[in-house]
Amino acid sequence: MAAPPAVPFVAANAISKSYGGAQALRDASLSVLPGEVHGLVGANGAGKSTLIRILPGVTQPDTGEIAIEGRPVAIVSPHAASGLGMSFIHQELAFVPDMTVLENIMLGLPKKTTRLGLVDWSAIQRDVAPIIERVGITAPLDAAAKSLSTAENWLISIARALVWKARLIVMDEPTASLSAGECRKLFSIIRGLSTSGVAVLYVSHRLDEILDLCSRVTVLRDGRSVAVLGGPDLTRRGLVQAIVGGAVEHLPKSRGAARGEVVLSVRGLCRLPRVTEASFDLHRGEVLGLGGLVGAGRSELARLLYGADRPDAGSMTIEGRPFAPRTPAGAVRAGLGLVPEERRTEGLLLGKSVAFNLSLGNLTPLLASPVLPFISLRKRARLAQATIRDLSIKASSPEQPVGRLSGGNQQKVVIGRWLRSKPKVLILDEPTRGVDIGARGEIHRLIRELAGHGMAVLVISSEPDELPDLCDRVLVMAEGRIVRELAGTDLTRSAIIEASYALTEERVSA
Amino acid sequence: MSDAGYTRRLSPGTRAALGVFARYGTIIGLLVMILVFSFLSPHAFPTYNNFINVLSQASLAMIIAGGLTMAVIVGELDLSVGYAASLHGVLVTGLIVANHLPIPVAVLIELALGAVIGVVNGVIVTKLKVNSVIATLGVGTVLVGLSFAYSAGVPIVSGVPESFLQLALGRWLFGIPNPIIFMALVFGGLWLLVERTAVGQEIQAVGGNPAAARLAGINVDRIKILGFVLSGMCAALTGTLLAARLGSGTTNAADSYLLTAFAAVFLGSATLRDGEFHILGTLIGTLIIVLGFNGLNIFGAPTFSQFVFQGAILIVAVGLASLGRSLAES
Repeated sequence: MAAPPAVPFVAANAISKSYGGAQALRDASLSVLPGEVHGLVGANGAGKSTLIRILPGVTQPDTGEIAIEGRPVAIVSPHAASGLGMSFIHQELAFVPDMTVLENIMLGLPKKTTRLGLVDWSAIQRDVAPIIERVGITAPLDAAAKSLSTAENWLISIARALVWKARLIVMDEPTASLSAGECRKLFSIIRGLSTSGVAVLYVSHRLDEILDLCSRVTVLRDGRSVAVLGGPDLTRRGLVQAIVGGAVEHLPKSRGAARGEVVLSVRGLCRLPRVTEASFDLHRGEVLGLGGLVGAGRSELARLLYGADRPDAGSMTIEGRPFAPRTPAGAVRAGLGLVPEERRTEGLLLGKSVAFNLSLGNLTPLLASPVLPFISLRKRARLAQATIRDLSIKASSPEQPVGRLSGGNQQKVVIGRWLRSKPKVLILDEPTRGVDIGARGEIHRLIRELAGHGMAVLVISSEPDELPDLCDRVLVMAEGRIVRELAGTDLTRSAIIEASYALTEERVSA
Repeated sequence: MSDAGYTRRLSPGTRAALGVFARYGTIIGLLVMILVFSFLSPHAFPTYNNFINVLSQASLAMIIAGGLTMAVIVGELDLSVGYAASLHGVLVTGLIVANHLPIPVAVLIELALGAVIGVVNGVIVTKLKVNSVIATLGVGTVLVGLSFAYSAGVPIVSGVPESFLQLALGRWLFGIPNPIIFMALVFGGLWLLVERTAVGQEIQAVGGNPAAARLAGINVDRIKILGFVLSGMCAALTGTLLAARLGSGTTNAADSYLLTAFAAVFLGSATLRDGEFHILGTLIGTLIIVLGFNGLNIFGAPTFSQFVFQGAILIVAVGLASLGRSLAES
C-alpha cells in the first residue's frame, strides 16, 4: 500500500464498532482524497453499511478516529457531517414526493428570504441554476418530485449535496434501480464531480462499475479493511480475491437436464401500458430467466402472474387448469410462490424472528395436532433450525430478529419460506440484488436445487451477468413484449444485452 | 432506521438503562403505585377484598381493551368501541325488559351484533379504503344515533330482572365475581389466538408488515376484518356487563371506556416488548389505570384529577412505546 500523495479529505482510522455481541467493524480504515472517486466494496456483513453509517454520524464508533483534512473531528449527527462537507445519498432516497423539485433540492437548507421574511424562490432559483445545469436536471423545477423517475430523483439528491457545498458525496448502491442509460448519465456526472474537486465514495456490489469509475478501492472483509487497491493492482480478479478472501468457487451448471411437462402456461397476457403482450410456457424442473432493461415490463408481468394486478386480456393455466388469480392469496393457493424484489419492505417482518418469518404463509406444518388450530412453537423452532442449517443462514438462533441479518441471509429467509410449502411455480424478482458474491453463489445453487426437485422457477433479473449462469432458458423483454428466447449456446450475456436494446434500436432506425 | 432519533447517540450504558425502563417501566410503575397506596392507606388498599373489587371493576375495561388490542394488532384503530358498548347496554336491557327474551339469548344477540358492527367497520376500512380513524368514528357516531332512536335517550331502569344483574354482580368459582371470570376467559382466548394459533401468526404478520403478509399469500383484508370483529364482540360483552352492573341501559354509559381502553392498549405496547401491541401488555396496562383510579378514589382526590391522570398516562404510554421502538431499531 503506497502512502497517499496528498492529505486525504477524510480519513477514518482504526474504527471499531460492535452491536450487542456482533463485531461489525474491527480496526477498519478508509481514506478518500480530495476529488477522488473511491470505491468501497465487500461482501454483505463485511461492515460497509456500518462504516457508511459512522461517517455521516448516524452511528458512533466504539473506538477510532476520523479526520477531515488532517484535523480530528467528532461527527455527532448527520447535520454535523453536512457542516463538514460530507453528503450522503442512501439506497432508499429521501425526498418528499408531494414537494417540487426545487423544494426538494432546498430541503433542510438555509433559504434566502425577501425583506418581508418570506422565502425568495426566484433568488434561490437563480442561485441553484448552475448546479441544476451541472447535474443535468431537465425536469421543470416546479414539477412534483413523485412524478420523476428514480434516476431523476438521484440527480435531485446530488444537486442538494452540491448546494450544500459538499466536498465528499457518499453514494450507496446508486445504480440498483437505474436503467443502463440512466447509469451512463450518472457515471458522467460522477466524473464531472471528480474533475471539479468533489470526491465520491462509491459503494457497490457491481464490480464493473467500480472498475470503470474508481481510482482507488477499499475492500472490507469481516469488518476489517483488507486491501486498498489502485493503479495496476485494481483488477476484477484482485477485487474478487480480496472480497472473498480465498479461491472463487464457480457454479457448476446443471443445464440440459431433461425438462418436464408444462406447469405454467401464459397466453397473450396484457396490461397496458407496461405489458403489451406476453406468451410463454414454464416447465417442471426448469429455471427460466426473464431479462431486459428496467422499465421493460418484467416486474409488471410478475405482478400479473402473482395476482397483485389483473390483466386487461390474456389467459393463464397451471397444470392445464385455468389460473386467474385475483389476489396474491389466491395465487398461493393455486401453487405459486413469490420472492419479491423489495425484500425488506415486501418480503419480511424485520422486527420478527427468523422462525416467524420462515413460517409466514405456510403454517399448516406447525400445527400441534390435526384437529386443534394451535401451532407448536417447538415444531416451529425445529423446522426453522433445519432450514437455517440447510440454507446455511447465518443467524445466532431461530429467535433472532430477521432485521439484524445481512442482506444475503435475509434473502435466504424469504426463499426458505417457500422451501417447505413447495409451490409448483416459484417467482424470484431480483433475487441477488444487494447481495454479496459469496451469498449470491449460494442463492444461485439453492435456486438450481429447487428446480432439481421439480419446481418450475422464474427468475427476473436486470443483471445480464446473472441469467446465463443460472438459467436453462432466458426470455428477454423490451417495451412490454417478450422479444427473444435464448437457450443453449445462444444464451450469453451479450445476447441478452443485445436483445434488450433490439426493439429500441429498431424504433430509432425506423 | 436512520431516523432513530436522539437514542442513537447515547452511550451503551444509558441505552441499556433506557431499554430496561422502556420495557419494564410500566411494571415498575405498577409496583411503585401498589407500594405507595399500601403505605398511605394500609387498611383500605392492600386487602384481598379491595384487590378483588378493583379487579372486578377493571374487568369491564380489560375486556373492551382486549378487543381493541386485536384491532390495533392488525394495524387499525377502532374508535367505535365506547359508543358500541353503550348501545349494547341499552339494547340488551331493552331486549330483556321490553321483549322478554331469555337473558342468554339476549346476550348472544348482542355478541352477534357486536360481530356485525365489526364486519361493517372492517369492510369500510378494507374494501372502501377509508382510514380507520374516520371509519370507526363515523360508525361510532351512527351507533350513538341508533341508541337514541331506540331509547329516546331515556335510561331503561324499571323491570330489569335480578337474574340479569347477577351477570355482573354474582360470584362463581371460589366466590370470584363473574366479570373477573369473563375477563379471564376473554384474555385466555385472545392470548391463545394471537400467540399460539395459525390465524394468530397471520394477525401478527398483517400488523407487522401488510405488504409482506399479502405477498406471502395471507388474505390481509380478511384478517383485518377479523380484528374489528373481535373488537366489536368484546365491546358487546363490556356493554352488556356494564348494563348488568348498573341495572340499567343508558345511552352514554360506556362512552368513557374508549379513552381508558386506548390508554391501556398503548401502555401495554410499552410493556415487556418494544412498542408492539400484545394481549398480556393490555392486561397490565388496564390494571395500572384502574389501580390508579382506585387509589385516587380511596384518597378522595377530586374528579378532575382522574381525567388528568388518564390523559397523562396515555401520553406517557405512547412515549414509552416509541422510546422502546427507537431503541430496538437503532
